[in-house]
Amino acid sequence: MLKIYQRLWQVTWAEQWQYRANTLMYLLYWLVSPVVYLSVWTTIARSQGSVSGLTANDFVIYYMTLLIIDQLTSDITIYNFASKVQDGTLSNDLIRPIHPMLTTTLVNNMAFKVLTLLALLPVWGVLWFLFQPDFTGVTWQGILLVIPAVVLGFLINFLLNAALTCVAFWTTRIWALHEFFMALGTLFSGQFVPLTLMPPLIQSIARFLPFQLTKYFLIELILGRLSPSDIVQGYLMGVFWLVVSLLLFRWAWRNGVKKFSAVGA
Amino acid sequence: MPQSAAITVEKLSKTYQVSEREGGFSAAVRSFFKRTYRDVRAVDTVSFQIEPSEVVGFLGPNGAGKTTTLKMLSGLLHPTGGQARVLGYTPWELKREYLSSMTLVMGQRNRLSWDIPAADSFLLNQAIYRLPDADFKRTLAELDELLDLKEIIKKPVRNLSLGERMKCELAAGLLHRPKVLFLDEPTIGLDITAQVRIREFLKEYNRRSGATILLTSHYMADVTALCERVIIIHQGKLKYDGGLNDLARKIAPFKLIGVRLGDSAAHDLSRYGKPAQADEESEMSFIEVRADQVTLVTARLLADLPVHDITITDPPIESVIEQAFNG
Repeated sequence: MLKIYQRLWQVTWAEQWQYRANTLMYLLYWLVSPVVYLSVWTTIARSQGSVSGLTANDFVIYYMTLLIIDQLTSDITIYNFASKVQDGTLSNDLIRPIHPMLTTTLVNNMAFKVLTLLALLPVWGVLWFLFQPDFTGVTWQGILLVIPAVVLGFLINFLLNAALTCVAFWTTRIWALHEFFMALGTLFSGQFVPLTLMPPLIQSIARFLPFQLTKYFLIELILGRLSPSDIVQGYLMGVFWLVVSLLLFRWAWRNGVKKFSAVGA
Repeated sequence: MPQSAAITVEKLSKTYQVSEREGGFSAAVRSFFKRTYRDVRAVDTVSFQIEPSEVVGFLGPNGAGKTTTLKMLSGLLHPTGGQARVLGYTPWELKREYLSSMTLVMGQRNRLSWDIPAADSFLLNQAIYRLPDADFKRTLAELDELLDLKEIIKKPVRNLSLGERMKCELAAGLLHRPKVLFLDEPTIGLDITAQVRIREFLKEYNRRSGATILLTSHYMADVTALCERVIIIHQGKLKYDGGLNDLARKIAPFKLIGVRLGDSAAHDLSRYGKPAQADEESEMSFIEVRADQVTLVTARLLADLPVHDITITDPPIESVIEQAFNG
């Protein structure tokens, strides 16, 4: 099994590398909003001293950490997979003795991540130079603690998106649904602003949703802003959502493939 | 059913539900609220049995249900009725062991990644099908010997010609030494040389490996070169299952003679045989002539008429089948 992933990696990496210019363009597009938020909030915080207790540096390190965490937990399953269902090329994958999503699509995600992270490094360097962030809150313990949480966050995001992508088996147009899901993510994950700046209602809803497990929880954890009980609660929430997303994905996949093979492609 | 058969198909059926509506805006609005469906019986209670290492041609006009049947047998489609067993497995359960012992190669579809050389995809297949290094190398060497792959598998697939790509597709589909091969139009779009090459390869592969092959093709030459037995379906129903020789004798015991005449309008070709479709481009007029009279009619034609060019061909497979079941 390990060999399958190893070979898949070689193939997928070579494929992704062919499209590196495309990846770079995507990255630049995606960088715009966090960098704008970063600039806006730090300007406001500087002029007022702080915003709801967050200083300019708090905003800088929040968004700079977000840039990395977002790449680590991001997921491109829908871009990779939905078209295969729609044009029927999934047939090729289905008659191979491996699970297409848990192998090819997963590895594709990884290769994309590594490529975007590589491209992100210089951007990060420039931001560092411009904003001179103070990362003193970050400890080795924090980094060690965040690694499993990042894996958990990615897996949840991957499985939820995979389940969502399976909707393509029933309806060929899934992009509106995807947009809606993304919007929920933006609102509840901390992508927009640190969740502490959100209305209390949103904050308490976000606590129980999976989205903050892919961003806000991880950022706060690495920046050393969470109490031990917050960390335990976050992890428990993570395990809960992992199970839920796994069940959702399994159900959607099984029934989706059944549907696919009933209609034919 | 006896377990010795490689493929057993019993009353296999597939009905598609096709939503349909008339053109126009109001019809579009109506269909949004109430869809009307029509049942299309793509495959209708088809039964046959194929023994191990047989090569069977699966024929029929476009839309006859050939591809649908192949998809059911390879596990991609659930039937709406009937049973099928291939190598003892029910295909659409998509059991790993089954998928590892069969292959489906579709001439019009690529399985190889466009962006990388086929050699890399082959290595991936080695891992997917869990092939030991020694076996993999041996099979690859053998496929290389038959298909002459060495140079072409190093180039990115997008840079290959159609024929080269088909060779790679076939090789990729055979690396795991499948016991059953489903080939859907394996020579489509290829030039004659490449067609011959693929045909010879399949013949030799079958001889060496003893694999069972079920193939569809629009090229009569594919079928005559490879298959002793043919199965014909038409509008989803099985119409013929038997020897190829019998088919030609029973259904189309005629050949086409095409002539280009100095002054075509002046002569009535129907005196020599049943007029068939003319080819405008080459200005050839065709007549159907019984196989045992070809020599005679040709001689008469040459003697009677100002013949500039003459050709004798087999009727195209489509028309043989059309002739058999509609004529």
